[in-house]
Amino acid sequence: MFTIGKLAGLTSVSNDTLRYYEQEGLIRPTAKSAAGYRLYDQDSARRIHFIKHAQRCGFTLAEIRELLELRGRDKACCGDVRARAIEKKLQIENEIRAMKAMSKALDQLIAECANEEQPVKECTIIAALERANLSTSVQ
Amino acid sequence: MKVELFCSPGGSACWDRQAELRTAAQAAIKDVEWRETNVLDNVDHAVELGVMTLPSIAIDGEVVFASMPTVVQLRKALIARNRGRA
Repeated sequence: MFTIGKLAGLTSVSNDTLRYYEQEGLIRPTAKSAAGYRLYDQDSARRIHFIKHAQRCGFTLAEIRELLELRGRDKACCGDVRARAIEKKLQIENEIRAMKAMSKALDQLIAECANEEQPVKECTIIAALERANLSTSVQ
Repeated sequence: MKVELFCSPGGSACWDRQAELRTAAQAAIKDVEWRETNVLDNVDHAVELGVMTLPSIAIDGEVVFASMPTVVQLRKALIARNRGRA
């Protein structure tokens, strides 16, 4: 059994984060010490490693909670987890696409601003962004 | 009219129902072009159309169902869209 501090050390996660995980129902103490401190078992440590790995794959805490629930459900199968992984991949690919579009838009702005010596009032990037603001507010 | 069903390769619930939905679509619209797409083989295409959940159904390149519809729901959507085209 581990105290919250020990668990934090074992998993390289801060005490505050562990309290947040507990508040969100991702981990829960399995016992209390004689002094009233919450104690966690080995499964909590495993769950925290699971959470960290899943976060690295882009899953949010809400999605991770669902994955943890699936993990403990007898009737769940690998296909349920796989479907979530595929949906996450689609979401990430969509974000990559949006970011590529942003990068392309920046390329254009950078190319249009060829003279770095110009005063900022005449900066074509600032002007283009102002125009973009105007067209957005008109919409 | 083009109807595209996006599924994951192992999504048996999706593939199990596709025949039923295809039949309903073909009965509702004469010139329907039905396509079943394995999303993992066509990620770019799926993302381009805005498919974010599985299964999804796109009609003429627009995602109309982000989960499996009933036969009645699909039929209604197809007929409404067909009316809009006329």
